[in-house]
Amino acid sequence: MHDPILTDKHRIVRRSVRDFCEKELRPIAAQIDQEARFPWEVAEKMGPLGYFGIQAPRELGGAGLDTVSYAITIEEVSRVSAAIGLCLSVHNSVALYPIVAFGSPEQHQRWVPALAKGEKIGAFCLTEPNAGSDAGGIIATALADGDDWVVNANKVFVTNGGIADICLVFTNTAQGSGRKEVSVVVAERGTPGFVVGDLEDLCGMRANPVTSIRLYDCRLPKANLLGKTGMGLRIGLAALDTGRIGIAAQALGIAQAALEEGVRYANQRQQFGVPLGNHQMIQMMIADMATQVDAARMMVYRAARIKDANQPVTKAAAQAKLFASEAAGKVTDLALQIHGGYGYSKAYAVERYYRDARVTRIYEGTSEVHRMVIAREALRETL
Amino acid sequence: MSLRIIVCIKSVLKASHLGGPQRAVGNSELNPFDRPALEAAIRLKDTMNASVIALSMGPEVSAEALDEAQAMGADEAVLVSDRALAGSDTLVTAKVLAKAVQKIGAFDFIFFGTRTADSDTGQVGPQTASLLDLPFLGGVKKMELQHGGWEVHRVVDTWEEAWQVQTPAALAMDPRAFIPRPVGLVGLSQVYDQPKLWQWNVADLGLTAEQVGLTGSPTRVADLKKTTHDRSCRIIEGNPLEQAEALLEMLALAGKIGS
Repeated sequence: MHDPILTDKHRIVRRSVRDFCEKELRPIAAQIDQEARFPWEVAEKMGPLGYFGIQAPRELGGAGLDTVSYAITIEEVSRVSAAIGLCLSVHNSVALYPIVAFGSPEQHQRWVPALAKGEKIGAFCLTEPNAGSDAGGIIATALADGDDWVVNANKVFVTNGGIADICLVFTNTAQGSGRKEVSVVVAERGTPGFVVGDLEDLCGMRANPVTSIRLYDCRLPKANLLGKTGMGLRIGLAALDTGRIGIAAQALGIAQAALEEGVRYANQRQQFGVPLGNHQMIQMMIADMATQVDAARMMVYRAARIKDANQPVTKAAAQAKLFASEAAGKVTDLALQIHGGYGYSKAYAVERYYRDARVTRIYEGTSEVHRMVIAREALRETL
Repeated sequence: MSLRIIVCIKSVLKASHLGGPQRAVGNSELNPFDRPALEAAIRLKDTMNASVIALSMGPEVSAEALDEAQAMGADEAVLVSDRALAGSDTLVTAKVLAKAVQKIGAFDFIFFGTRTADSDTGQVGPQTASLLDLPFLGGVKKMELQHGGWEVHRVVDTWEEAWQVQTPAALAMDPRAFIPRPVGLVGLSQVYDQPKLWQWNVADLGLTAEQVGLTGSPTRVADLKKTTHDRSCRIIEGNPLEQAEALLEMLALAGKIGS
């Protein structure tokens, strides 16, 4: 695909990731969805190639690439398996990135190399049964006790939960004063009191082991605090800015895959003696799908470029995530429609794309929260 | 002992229409048959003190193929690019590569792919070796250091031969024997931060525009035409034994099998 908004470097990133995914991931993509199985055999190959440390500095074991390369990588992996794109997006942007951006040099040495090489998997533990979009509403607590935090938390819908070694846990460190002081404490799997809950039985993204993670009087060293106490929401928002670019790229990858399947089927399937693509109503669907995908792609890359230029990216990232996820919904729906009854069958990939696309409008900020964010920024700009 | 290996690679067309193939961004890729040659060189680099230089002649877009070669593990890259080179046939390509190899300086091996995915001649490797007066072996599947010299195994017509090879030598690699490693993000990032690409034109190699390109090439493409294969489908009835016998008979009668 010739994309004039990309540089040579980004084209080669795309080609390399696409080649890898077609060879290693495509043959098992449908199967791991059906079996709800995380493909360690592929993840182990992705590690040394840099997929788990796309933007982490090279001196800490990462690939040290820019945000555009990150977006392309997530897009291309998600084009083949959105569940694995999700694993990489969350690991890179909301687990590893906050440690790189807010961690101390000692914390960098402790966690970044293993995460960047994929030897350890990261997760982001913010959502609770009664707090998601309202991040300030969390009730997890961390009480200071000597050199430790004693953490109690019930975190749900943790992406990568079943495989995560290093979790960023959002918790209240206000010491029972009744105030809210959200802080991030890093919890490592295996610490006494760290319990991984059952696998969520989800509609899509089934190859990603989404679970709850509970901490029961879990003693974590004070050295595990990321940044300072009270910095939690700031860390969360910064992480979500890149996270949103990742999820937008993921939605874009799913939409691209659905467009390709729709086009393939429209050319191949004959009805009324001609290929489906000869019928105007199908052409209209294809035109809308192609346009949605292109518009989403431009918004995603624009947000990534703004991030690479170190400019404020909150609005552009929110717009990209909102638009791309809604585009993925429309495009996968149309691709399924083009396939008719076969599209509703698990024998065709569009059914998986349709299920996988749905959650991109929900996680890392719902479409409604993104409209709030965009409106707030836009209203501020007009003033 | 240290080893210096030059790997000749080409950026090939992915698809073209009759009449006007143009290598351009989005329509080019590193020749898939050159990847095994790079892999063979980088495997040697993995196990011993070796440096790998990727060399390519082609339009500017070939720099992408050289970037990929460096991301796989080549240490440096040389691109010979010049408008005057357009239309060069395999002989001129071999002359230019030979000049570039001489300009690079001392080396132990030149590796080639078996052929290219676009023009498919397989001539450039042996031609370059001849021009440089180097021994050449094609279809190489294994290289071993034995008593200070190289033993090179190659496959010819299903026979495997073992050769004692003196360096410098030129080898073309069997694509089945050297499955190329994937291009990693870490490697790409290193290339972008510290690219080691040298770019030469025809004059840099001591050649003139008349000696290269269409004017310098003895090959003339007289005509290009599309060939079609008429396919038909016939269902053979009967039990598996009868079906197999009927199929054998049909293939033999059509001259497809047997002698």
